[in-house]
Amino acid sequence: MDKNFSARRRRDLIIAAVLAALAALAPLFVKNVYVQNILVLTLMYAALSQSWNILSGYCGQISLGHALYFGIGAYTTELLFTKFGVLPWFGMLAGGGIAAVIAMGLGYPFFRLRGHYFVIATIVIAEIGLLLFQNWEWAGAAMGITIPVRGDSWLKFQFMRSKLPYFYFALALCCIAWFVTWWLEDSKWGFWWRAVKDNPEAAESLGVVVFNSKMGAAAVSAFLVAIGGAFYAQFLAYIDPESVMGFQFSLLMALPAVLGGIGTLWGPVLGAAILIPMTELTRSYIGGSGRGVDLIVYGTLIVLISLALPQGLVSLLSRSKTKGATR
Amino acid sequence: MTALLETRGVWQRFGGLVANSDVSISVGRGEIVGLIGPNGAGKSTLFNLIAGVLPPTQGSIWFDGEDVTNLPAAERCQRGVGRTFQVVKSFETMTVIDNVIVGALVRNTVMREARRKAHQVLEFTGLAARADVLASDLVPAEKRRLEVARALATEPKLLLLDEVLTGLTPTEAQTGVALVRKVRDAGITVLMVEHVMEIVMPLVDRAIVLDLGKVLVEGKPSEVVRDPKVIKAYLGDRHAVGA
Repeated sequence: MDKNFSARRRRDLIIAAVLAALAALAPLFVKNVYVQNILVLTLMYAALSQSWNILSGYCGQISLGHALYFGIGAYTTELLFTKFGVLPWFGMLAGGGIAAVIAMGLGYPFFRLRGHYFVIATIVIAEIGLLLFQNWEWAGAAMGITIPVRGDSWLKFQFMRSKLPYFYFALALCCIAWFVTWWLEDSKWGFWWRAVKDNPEAAESLGVVVFNSKMGAAAVSAFLVAIGGAFYAQFLAYIDPESVMGFQFSLLMALPAVLGGIGTLWGPVLGAAILIPMTELTRSYIGGSGRGVDLIVYGTLIVLISLALPQGLVSLLSRSKTKGATR
Repeated sequence: MTALLETRGVWQRFGGLVANSDVSISVGRGEIVGLIGPNGAGKSTLFNLIAGVLPPTQGSIWFDGEDVTNLPAAERCQRGVGRTFQVVKSFETMTVIDNVIVGALVRNTVMREARRKAHQVLEFTGLAARADVLASDLVPAEKRRLEVARALATEPKLLLLDEVLTGLTPTEAQTGVALVRKVRDAGITVLMVEHVMEIVMPLVDRAIVLDLGKVLVEGKPSEVVRDPKVIKAYLGDRHAVGA
């Protein structure tokens, strides 16, 4: 039994390593900048969704306000860079730290809420954050911040000629988020989170401090999402509140995990690999009609998958296994 | 030696309803004590007070020589109070072994040790063959057993069993009784709420009868079942007179 368990853990790790290696080779074959752009976004959303999954999937605290942490990562990095000359690498970590602290500060009152009330609170808070940044003169208000780009530089993490460095950073971020999840899954925290999600009262009776568990999940989740936000800001070289803190980011973090399998190790990656290219392709091929056909197609697909596979796409892969176990 | 568990003048009011009034009971080390009484007697409320789900309106609760009245449930578990729930609360999306690991993590911070402990508990409770099954796929009797296993994994000094033998077939109930004896033989004190008299009475060393939130009678099971006050509480006045 134990052997099965560690074998499965090792297998996951090997699959991930192989996939990462294959992904790293992708730029050798993909020269088209448009396609490269889609790859970067796919990897970024996989990383974001994986991070979102820690709080909302494993710990069961559904957040539709993670755009706030994404935006905080972006703004912290760029404000520190443009106002104080702090290199984005440090700004990124600072952004992650601030986002984690804010997530815990917000968790303090909101983790007392349950179910839908918690979800509503996260939406409202992210919306407030957006409004604050739209009106904060020092941070560029609604005009946003343009990042001064002076040639390619790893130090300043900015590249004009090629998208490849961004691609590799997004890949690294995706690997880190996956690995953190993998590692946490078989840790005290991972077990506590799943227990809290399934039944907080029973968890408490088994010595799990439910509140602290949620706080831990929120901090890790927000930290990683903010790193993603910092990356996105560097990638765009321009930020304004709507383009880094809009509600669509909260959705685009949640959807891949939900589609792929919420609270699972592979769900977010799988979901992002399907959803993000689909989003981009429907937008560029049928979005031009101006009638929102792309959104209709996109929405229909999501509804169909949710109806047919409520446990997400990963349930297709593990179905045979569970059947054998229940017999 | 002091009692392992003691409640001193415990009251619990929910608005105008008095669920427990002036309840003082004690449970000695190594005992199996049955907490019985008709529906609405306040058994579950008392259980929740002892487990730390909510603090009593008045009175104090002492465990292992310390006042634990204001400690939350998680802290009490760390001190050695394990419990099951009347309405089973399995972690449904987790496997049986994972359910038990959550409990084992209280005393084992290293995952490998927690896992080993969980396997031991599954052997002990007879669930080893079901280790890799999802909790949601267990039959009701197994779910009850899982509740016990999970609580045992926390290595409690006192195990609170809330109707673990109710709603089982006679065979299942007998297996349950054997398990409770085994738990006591392992040195764990047991306080159990139970409805099914004929099963619980031969099992317990002492019975405490609650009625209308108060302790009605306390004593050896054989004496308690003959007590007119108990018969009256369960069956009404007419039968008590007849006895």
